[in-house]
Amino acid sequence: MNRDATSNGVNPEGRLHPISIAVREIADTFSRMGFGIAYGPELEDDWHNFTALNVPEDHPARDMQDTFWVRDPERGRSPSGDSGDKIKGNQGKVLRTHATSVTMRKLEDMAKSGATEMRMINPGKVFRNEATDMTHEAQFYQVDGLAVGPTGSVTLAHLKGTFDTFYREYFGPNTKVRFRPSFFGFTEPSVEIDVWFEVPGKEGRWLEMCGAGMLHPNVIRNAGLDPEKAQGFAFGGGLERLLMVKYGIPDIRLFYSGDIRFNYAFEEKKV
Amino acid sequence: MKVSLKWLQNYFEKPLPNAEMVSDAYTFHAFEIDEMQGDMLDVKVLPNRAADCLSHRGLAKELAAILNIPFAKDPLAEALPDFPNSNKLSVEIEDSRKCLRYMGAVVRGVKVGPSPVWLKEAIESVGQRSINNVVDATNYVMLNIGQPLHAFDASKLSNPPAGGDGAVAIGIRNAKRGEKITTLSNEVYELSENIVVITDAHADAPIALAGIKGGKLAEVTMDTTDLVIESANFDGTTTRRAAQALKLFTDASLRFQNRPSPELAAYGMRDVLALITLIAGGEVECVVDEYPARPQVASVSVPLARINSVLGSDFSHAQAADVFRRLGLETRIERDVFTVTPSFERTDLIIPEDLVEEVGRILGYDQVPPTALPMPATAPDQSRFHGIERMKDQLIEQGFIEVSTQSFAKKGDILLANPLDKNMPALRITLEDNLKDALTRAKYVAPLVLAPNQKPKLFEVGTVFPKEGEFIELRMTERVPEWGLPAQTGESANTFDNLSIAKLEDYGKDYVPVRYDLGVYQPFSLYPFITRDVSMWISNSDEARGVVLRLFAERGSGILRQVQLVDQFTNKEGRQSLAFRLIFQSFERTLTDEEVNGVMEHIHAALASKGYEVR
Repeated sequence: MNRDATSNGVNPEGRLHPISIAVREIADTFSRMGFGIAYGPELEDDWHNFTALNVPEDHPARDMQDTFWVRDPERGRSPSGDSGDKIKGNQGKVLRTHATSVTMRKLEDMAKSGATEMRMINPGKVFRNEATDMTHEAQFYQVDGLAVGPTGSVTLAHLKGTFDTFYREYFGPNTKVRFRPSFFGFTEPSVEIDVWFEVPGKEGRWLEMCGAGMLHPNVIRNAGLDPEKAQGFAFGGGLERLLMVKYGIPDIRLFYSGDIRFNYAFEEKKV
Repeated sequence: MKVSLKWLQNYFEKPLPNAEMVSDAYTFHAFEIDEMQGDMLDVKVLPNRAADCLSHRGLAKELAAILNIPFAKDPLAEALPDFPNSNKLSVEIEDSRKCLRYMGAVVRGVKVGPSPVWLKEAIESVGQRSINNVVDATNYVMLNIGQPLHAFDASKLSNPPAGGDGAVAIGIRNAKRGEKITTLSNEVYELSENIVVITDAHADAPIALAGIKGGKLAEVTMDTTDLVIESANFDGTTTRRAAQALKLFTDASLRFQNRPSPELAAYGMRDVLALITLIAGGEVECVVDEYPARPQVASVSVPLARINSVLGSDFSHAQAADVFRRLGLETRIERDVFTVTPSFERTDLIIPEDLVEEVGRILGYDQVPPTALPMPATAPDQSRFHGIERMKDQLIEQGFIEVSTQSFAKKGDILLANPLDKNMPALRITLEDNLKDALTRAKYVAPLVLAPNQKPKLFEVGTVFPKEGEFIELRMTERVPEWGLPAQTGESANTFDNLSIAKLEDYGKDYVPVRYDLGVYQPFSLYPFITRDVSMWISNSDEARGVVLRLFAERGSGILRQVQLVDQFTNKEGRQSLAFRLIFQSFERTLTDEEVNGVMEHIHAALASKGYEVR
């Protein structure tokens, strides 16, 4: 008597989280354009998250309402009764507000090693101290990155070419990319990258996807490089938003719910 | 910044294009438009331009450059008058780092009343409320050229102690701890030392929160006849911190925190005095100007080659020169080098790249050709990433499901100074707790998403923050005997790894992670579900299965979410049995047992009527 009618005897496979699936896709496209992958700490010092990136001392981004700061051990003990002294090394640290902090670390690596060019993407979790709702999470993923080379070798035109390719591969061949003026402390000029995205059966629309620009000379200098010799672009955009647009996911909070129904909310096919 | 097209039109002789086109002009060459409503545009002025563009004049000037149409008149380019001087007003600045300039004027004999129609309409066209001619005049000039202004009732300020000659005195000083002020809107604020106040100096009484809001004490009312007008410049950081401490953000504080040039104060004073005397009458008795340090404006140069080598463009000398002309920037051209001496209000033009940006955005970034980066000499390094993904792929193959959970925790070694959720004040030191939690929920929802014989097993890769320092942890809800740190024994053996110290580069070097295509997101209900099993004898035919499934669909009352075939066998007599698990769930509400029992009764009855014997 066969009591195993519903299974062919093979142990079913599990499922990757959609973020992992997206990062693999993005990493692959960028690898074909010469980008490696870089990692950096999530608990970051003020230098790499703010100061080195040309965010001035009194910038609103440094305020408590935007950034998670680590509690000053002088002023309190942790609930487990540990002496605050043990975490003294973390004083003044923040949960990184962008993965551009990794870009900063990679620029410093360049200065140390004497390298004259570098291309990296830094996919990683970042944190913002803001109320959560369907489109805002206090923790989310960003894909930041940089391309740097000798002066004149990496330009805003290359930034455009890179993102033209990336968005076409990610969203499909009808995708278009446009730049709008913007402002970030660490880039000059700065642009906002919009993507023209067509959902089958719906009208196409422009969506703001990523902030980018040419690395500010102060940032290059802060890394220990010479802005007369090194030039490049940097970019950073939310990862969940890419997926939300591509797959029609309505609520960003689904990503970090730890709910396996999210993994199974998509038809999945191995490529 | 809300602007009205009609107001902007004052700056041009030629009629402006329609709102749609003006909106596009700003969007692709300067600033995003947050909202459009008839004649009104809400322009999202970028932080580096907030010093000059939180004004109709600044935005009109941008438009002139973008659309390449003549800017008919620039109030900031017109010469300043000689203001009358006298000793009827004195001004004393305590700290010139916090108040960069203070101009005060005395105007006598005004008649406060309603504003003329044009002014009322202008104020209301950008969503503000008309109050009276004097207050509206100060607001109008601020919205027009960006200089915050304030009017006090001079008769409410104290006379000097005995022997004075009727001169009023304004002081600008740090508030005293515990000092109180009642603002124009009748709110009382208790102050601290890092908030700056304007005082009636003879009485040493605060009459305004510097750069933020006026006080009740010297409020202009319908009975006011004599005014003290303030056109000042307060330090950006001081103003922002004060506004934040008081939770009082105003049009004035927003402007000061963006550091407009103190030069602007004189233009604001000129315009507001002209407007007040025009619409409220009166006579300007004197203007006092305390200006401890005038800022220097430095010129900045950029060669054409630099512009093109940053943008990757091929702009000509003539194109670049034309941009600076359109922007109205004083430019010296020597061969291919452009040297710009910014007008005082363009505080953002400091380094050559700032000029590169002006050329790029005014000509348009659509003129920058997308160009592929040539491949670098060395192959990109993604080996560490591939190593981590290889581990994930192994786990997927073994039936593990990857989850991602919150980094905040109830307890941990690192505490946040400002947690979002007071119950989660720490950073997680392990993935274990979240994973345990996720597993409990996974077991509960397993019937909804997993095959009947699939055991929920989870893993997560994520950063943890023990006091020894953060690292990337891999944690599984089941043992994977081949993995884990050598020291792991007991319960948790082979269930976690430290990927930050694991040598993953070689492991990942030649590995290609599995790739997946996902379909569109299928929403799932967050309400509880109810399962019921039903099994039956059927005649020996494949047809029966289809009939039964159709029947379920018809009788499921819209709440039957899933049907799983869980068992099927044929007995010795050749009779076939099918067993199904039915899962009921609503997208709108929590189902009750009674409701589901009712549906099951219908299903049983329908099965019986088809001749199937429910077991």
